[in-house]
This record gives sequence, structure tokens and C-alpha cells, in this order.
Amino acid sequence: MSKNQPDMIRGTLDMLILKVLSLEPMHGWGIGERIQQVSADALQVNQGSLYPSLHRLTRQGWIRSEWRTTENNRRARYYVLTRAGERQLGLETDHWTRLSVAVGRILALG
Amino acid sequence: MIRWIGNLWFRLRALLDRRRMERDMADEIEFHLEMEERKYRAGGVGAEEAHRLARVRFGGEERFKEQSRRSWGVSWLQDMGGDIRFAARQLRRRPAFTTLAVLTLALGIGGTVALFSVVDGLMLRPMPVRDEAGLRVFWMDYDWRGVEFDFARGRVKAFTSLAAYSMDAVTLRTATGSSLVLSCIGSAELFDVLGVKPLLGRTFRRGEDRPGADPVIVLSYGLWQQRFAGDPTVIGRTVGVDGRSTTVVGVMPRGFYFPTPEARAWVPLDLDPSTQTYQSNGWLVLLGRIRPGVTGAQVQDDITALAHAMGQRWSYPAAWDKTRSPHVTPLREYVLGSVRPALLLLLGAVALVLLMACANVAALILTRTTDRTGEMSMRTALGASRTRLARQILTESVMLGAGAGVLGMGLAAALFHVLVASLPLQNGFADTLSLDWTALTGALGLAVVTGSLISLAPMRSLLAGDLSGSALGERRQSGARGGPGRLRTSLVVAEVLLAVVLTTGAALLVRSVERLRDVDPGLDPKGVLTVDLLLPEASTDSVERDQLLHSVLQRARAIPGVSAAGLINRVPARGGGWQATVAVADRPDLADRQRPNAYYRPVTPGTFAALGAHIVRGRGILPSDRPDSRRVAVVNEAFARRFWGTRNPVGRTITDNGFTEGPIEVVGVVHDIAVDKLVGERPPAVYYPWAQTMHGSSYGILVAKTETDPAALAATVRKLVTQVDPRMTVGRVETMDDVLDAAMAEPLRLRFFLGLFSVLGLVMGTVGVYGVVSFGVQRRRAELGVRLALGARPARLVGETVAAGLVPVLLGVVGGVGLSWMASSFLARFLFGVAPTDLVSFGAAAGVLIVAGVLAALVPALRAGGTDPAVVLRSE
Repeated sequence: MSKNQPDMIRGTLDMLILKVLSLEPMHGWGIGERIQQVSADALQVNQGSLYPSLHRLTRQGWIRSEWRTTENNRRARYYVLTRAGERQLGLETDHWTRLSVAVGRILALG
Repeated sequence: MIRWIGNLWFRLRALLDRRRMERDMADEIEFHLEMEERKYRAGGVGAEEAHRLARVRFGGEERFKEQSRRSWGVSWLQDMGGDIRFAARQLRRRPAFTTLAVLTLALGIGGTVALFSVVDGLMLRPMPVRDEAGLRVFWMDYDWRGVEFDFARGRVKAFTSLAAYSMDAVTLRTATGSSLVLSCIGSAELFDVLGVKPLLGRTFRRGEDRPGADPVIVLSYGLWQQRFAGDPTVIGRTVGVDGRSTTVVGVMPRGFYFPTPEARAWVPLDLDPSTQTYQSNGWLVLLGRIRPGVTGAQVQDDITALAHAMGQRWSYPAAWDKTRSPHVTPLREYVLGSVRPALLLLLGAVALVLLMACANVAALILTRTTDRTGEMSMRTALGASRTRLARQILTESVMLGAGAGVLGMGLAAALFHVLVASLPLQNGFADTLSLDWTALTGALGLAVVTGSLISLAPMRSLLAGDLSGSALGERRQSGARGGPGRLRTSLVVAEVLLAVVLTTGAALLVRSVERLRDVDPGLDPKGVLTVDLLLPEASTDSVERDQLLHSVLQRARAIPGVSAAGLINRVPARGGGWQATVAVADRPDLADRQRPNAYYRPVTPGTFAALGAHIVRGRGILPSDRPDSRRVAVVNEAFARRFWGTRNPVGRTITDNGFTEGPIEVVGVVHDIAVDKLVGERPPAVYYPWAQTMHGSSYGILVAKTETDPAALAATVRKLVTQVDPRMTVGRVETMDDVLDAAMAEPLRLRFFLGLFSVLGLVMGTVGVYGVVSFGVQRRRAELGVRLALGARPARLVGETVAAGLVPVLLGVVGGVGLSWMASSFLARFLFGVAPTDLVSFGAAAGVLIVAGVLAALVPALRAGGTDPAVVLRSE
């Protein structure tokens, strides 16, 4: 399981992708836009780095991809959260919450 | 689990449908950039600026593509593909190196695997009996009397049961004809001791080895197939065995053999206390099964007690005291004892060759690495990581290994067949051997592992050395001294050493075989034909059989060109057969029940003449030696020497208790004819008149000497036999020359193999020396160029170079001679008439290697002498 416990930064991005996809299927550009919007530009995602993450998540079976037509009638690759992905998101959210609570406590010291 | 499969599926697609993956990725990024551009333009940015901004925001497109590809999880495979292609190109660029390396390794691997298959079959695979580990053969093979067996039976508590057996040929008559069948004659307990069940019917029953029992026979699977076409109704059928009508009671399963695959049927012993055979003929082997949980010490105690009891029951003369060293031998060791040393010898030789092959390839690769230091430095400078370079070398080595492995597998299969045919195996054993797949796949594994191991040496120097910086300048110096050079030299020393060991062994065997050709077989094989004759027992009585044999003999003598013909019971130098105990009347010290054994050889008048055997003293067997005349015998020289020393045996008296009654007068001494085998000390043998000993015999071997071609005589004899009586059968027909050749086959084949290995070793040693010298020459090109420019004589440079090359050769020769000397006692048993420390052989081996070394050094040395100083100095 240690293999699935990614390092902080990359892992965070993976988690954010999974979270975004848990709302609705989305293409790569949309995911990036959504993360930026919701975080009110606090998180500047390097757009290109989304793609290696998306491919890795696909390989791990947490998301799958399919080609769909956008509202503008343009072909785009959409990513969909899988059952395993949902589970993983749950795990990572828990992990993140525990971590941030712990970090928060330490920072609250004296 | 599902996810794991999905993951694999993804990787497979990435590997196999790569083009689509690439296209999808490109499309996806294209879409991304388009959307981004659109966003900017919607924000009022100009088309060109939007295009630019979108790409800036995205970051390095190629970099992320590459990262994505890596996340497909197959990049290492892609890299490997590249490595393999590159390695293949490298190997192709130097065909001589590649061929040499692959061939050397393949030979080593092929030989090892072939031999391993044989060793596996003979020494490691269990024998077809239950719990082989518990079976023991009692000391003194073929030396137990029936009475001793019965005595021992209940006395060894450490054994659950004891059985006695022997081997003999019986004539088997079935509806399809008669033939001699080598059989195992065993006591009733034999199959219980072995713990095997028959395929059909039953095995021996209690009491079937006692007088009055109905005769039975158990067939081997092979004999059942051959003579009864695998007919399951054979059980209960009556066949003729040695003239008695006998019931077939069982068929053994396929693959079962005992004691060797040569035995094709099992017949109960006849343990009849009223016979001389039971009382005084030592012709049995005792086999027992150790009781579970009994220790070796208990076994030893038990048999020591048995020996003690036997010593009290019978008094044994000092020379044949059975009670002196009681011990037991594991069955396998007993059965395979004779093959083992030869097998070990060959295994040793093949291991040496494999070692040399590895040393050679390592040396070759070392040279290549040194040659390529420049290339490696260049590649490091261009950004190749060190692990990447090491991986490259490893790939090359593994590819060499794999190539050699595939070739070695083919070689193994070919060598295996030659090997099985060449080993001194008793006939049937070869059929139980097969080249197994484990060994073959093992060969591939061995090759790859060897390849990787070999690459470790250059890899170490590669990883240790400083490849960056002054790449080219350093190459020149790094060659001058340091690891690879010294390592190479020691490898060559080792190679030469091993080659000397192999060549010495081969030289000794060559000399030994020469001596073998000088062995006096005691007969003149020229023009002699031997024919096995089998008579129909059931439809003839003993008088008729005597007449039939007699008339065949008479007619054979009448064939034009035949100068002499006679009968004998065993072909000289081929079969042992029975040894009968003989009592010597004027040797009272031997006059108890335990008497010396001598081979039992009934002959007719004309047999000695046909064989060209000289009568040394007295007379031979004459027509006047009738069944009713005085009992006579002719002894061989070995017999006379053993019992009477230099005294004249003629006129002395012996008895052959066990076969006939009454005293027998020795009337002559015949020159030692090879009896059981060609090589080795001649055993005592006694030749009796056929007429006085073989009354009613259902077989005989006709020996005839002709002035013409004996092979042509064979057809005439066959026709003649049919004319005499169509019910008679002709068995094996062989010329005496063939018989003697067969008797020499084992040492000849051993010599062939060791010769082959030593030639291999020689080639490898020479290549090694050549490599080391040419390497040295290359290294010193600058120096040589300068010296030539300053006026040094080329001849002197050549001499110097050769001398330098000879240093490892001489070291190797000295070491090799030393090692051979130490190992000589092991080789001793394979030699005949040559001391294992024979100076000629040692000298020849050392000489051959030194000459090969000089020649190998001379080629690059001449090139050094011919160096053009101008070219060298310019290139530096």
C-alpha cells in the first residue's frame, strides 16, 4: 500500500483531481480551471503537470477516460471517477484531514 | 485483483497500442491549448498573444508528454528495447569477438547440460523400486552360496527381509521362436525386498524357489511387448524356459528394471539343499532391506555377528575368508559402481571446459571494455548516466549469454546422444536416460547468469574509474597498468593451467589406448566368427540336442575355407558367465567347502584351434575325450600359476564340485585367452571337454576360423543351421574382431571425449594468449613506434613481445603440470600400462601448450614488429 501513498505535493494534486471528478466527469482543461476557480486562485496548478497525473490515475484504475463531445461540439477526453477512485478519494480525504488537523494543532502551540 | 489486472491491461495497451496512446495524448493537449486560447481571446487578448500565453501557462509540452509516457509504466521496457538494439549493433560490429564469445560459452554450456542429464539419470533419479535408500547389497558380490543365504536369512535383525539373486541367460521358447534372454534369477522374497508390484498377474510366491515348485517366469514390460505383443492374456500361458515348461505368472510395469535394465525376465532360484550348486557354488548376490529406524551402527553390528556365526559354521581359508570384512553397500552404488568414475571424470573435464569458457569470455569482454573506455567517456560527457552505461554492458553480456544458451541447447541435445552411446553403460541403461527439459531450461538460465556474472568484472572497473573529465587522455594511461590488465593476465594463466590439465589427461589416455592395442587377447581374431546357437528344448530330448549341435559342428568344419571349428559356452572377452568352484587335490589347504572360483568353459575339439590359442603344456581337448572316458580338463596359465606356481600342472587332479562328480585330471595348459574382459588380470579358467560336461545343452556358441571373410561365412552358417533343423535358431553372430573392438570401446570412447575436451581447452587457451599479447601490443604501440623510429630492430621487438606473452603461458603450464600431478591418482584407474605420472604425457601436454602459446603470441608480435613509426607517432 505504501506505493499508493504518494508524496505530499503530487498526492495533493491527485486528491484534488479525484475530488473534482467526484462531482462530475470532466476534461483535463476543465479540471485545471475548476481547481483554480474553487481555490480562488490560491492554488496555481501548473497546467501541463495535470496530464502525467491523469495518466497515472488512469493506470491505477481510479479514473477512466472516454472521448465525448463538448457543448461546443468539440471532441475531448473526459475523465470519470471509478468505484475504486471513490474509495481512494475517501482514504485520501481522511488522511489529509488527519494531517491538517495535526499540523494545525502544532501550529496553534503557544 | 481487478485493479491489478486493469493496471496490467493499461500497460499492455501502452506497449502494444502505443501509436493510439500517443495520438490521444496529442489530441488531448491540443484541446487543452485550444480552450486556453479561447479563454484568453474571450478576455480580449489578440490571437497571437493568446496562442503564446496558452503555451506559457501550460509549461514545457514535451516534458509533460514525456512525464505522461513514464506514468504509463512501460518506459523501462522501451529503454530495454533500445539497449538491445544498441547491443546487437555493437555485437554485429565485431563479428569475430561475438562469434568467439558465443561459441566458447555455448560449448561450455552444451557440454555441461548434456553431461548433467546423464549424471541426473544415473546418479540422481531414483531407481524403480520402493524406498531405494533402504536397500543394501551384502559384501562379496556373486559369491554367496545357497546354503549361506539360507543361513543368513533369519539372522540379520536389522533387515526386514533378505533376498538372493544372480544374472544368467535363459533360453526362452515361445510360439514365435527361441532366444537367449538375460534374466535375473532370484529367491522368492526378491520382489518383496524391492517393494514393487507387477503390472499384471503376480510375482514370486513363497516356496517357488524350493525344489518341487512349478516353474514360473515374470516378464519385463519390454519383453512382454516384444514377444507377446502386449497381450494381457499371457498370464497363465506356458512357455519354455531352459527346456522346462514354465508358466508366465506376471508382467512388471513399464520402466521397472532390476538389477539392471539388461535383465528382461525374472525366474525363481532353485534352492535345493541336495545339490552341489546349493552347497558349494558362490554365485549369488545378497540384497536386504533395512528395517525402518535402524541405524548404520546397528546394521554393522548385525552383519558382523552374522560373519562371526558363519565363521563358526564353516571354516574359510585365509585367502577367501568371507568373514573378514563384513559390510553392506547401497544398491545404487553397487549397480552403478563401474560407471561412476568415468562419469565423474567426464564431468570434471566438462566443468574445466566451462570454467575456461567463462574465463575466456570474461577476458574478451575485459579487452572490449578497455577498448571502449574512450567511447564510454564520450557517452558520459554527453549525459549518459553511469547506471545506464552499466546497464548497457549488462545487456550486451546477457545477450551474449542468451545467444550462447540457445546454441548450447542444440549442442547439448547433440552431445547427449553421443555421450549416452559412449559411456561404458550396460546395454539397457541407455534406454532409461533422456535429455530432460529441466536441464535444457537450466542451460538458458546458466547462460544468462554466466553472461551477467562475466559482465560484473568490466562493470566494476567502469563504475570505479573516473570516466568524466580528460576522457581521451586518460584512456592511454589507464591501459598502461591497473586492474583490467592484471585481471586479464591471471585469467589467461588460469586458462592455460586448465588446458594443461585437460591435455595431460587426454595424452595419458591416448598412450593408454596404444598400450591396449598391444594387449594379448590370447587368441588370433583373424577370420574368426562366433555364432550363438539355440536349440528347441521342448520337442527334443538331450541326446537329440547333442546330435544336432554335433552335426552343425561337423557341417561347419566342412565349409570350404574353414580350417577349424568348435563349440564353447561363452565368447572370449565378452561374457563372464558362471564361475565354478574348483578343488585342487594336492592343495589340502584349499580342500574345504570354500574353494577358489574359476571360469567354467566347456569346449569341443577344434575350439582352441579355431581361436588360435596355443597349448603351452600337455594337450588340448581331443575327440577321444568321450562322456564315458576318463575325466580331463585343460587349465589356463593363470590357473596354473595361481595354484601350482612354477610346478607342472599336467597330471594333477582337480574336482569341479557343483557340476560333475569325481576327480578330473589336468591334461594341459592353454595360453591365457581373454575370458571375461580384454583388459586386466586374467582370471583362472578351466576348459572341460564339451562331451563330458554339456550333455543335453540347449545352446552353444560356434567358433569357426576361415581363410576368407568371416562376415561372409555368417550367411553360410545360418543356411546350414536351418538345413540341419529348421527349429534351431541362430542368435548373435559376431566376428572376433568386433568382439575385441567392443571390449576396447570404453577406453576408446573415454579417450575420444577427453581428446575433444582437451582440443577445446587448447583452442580457448590459445585464444586467451593471443588476446593478452595483442592487447599488450596495442597498449605499447606508442613506445614501439618511438623505439622503431630511434632505430630498434623489429626482430628484437618481436622477440620481446613474444617473451612477454609467454609469461602467463609458462605460469599456467607450471601450475597445470602441478595440478595434473596431484590429480594423477584419480586418473590411474582409467589407464592401462601407463603410469598416471607418465613423463611423456606430461611433457607432450606442456609442449603443446607452449607451442600454441608461442604461435598465439607471434601473430600480434609480428604486427608489432611491422609497426610504421610514422603512422603511430602521428596518431598519438
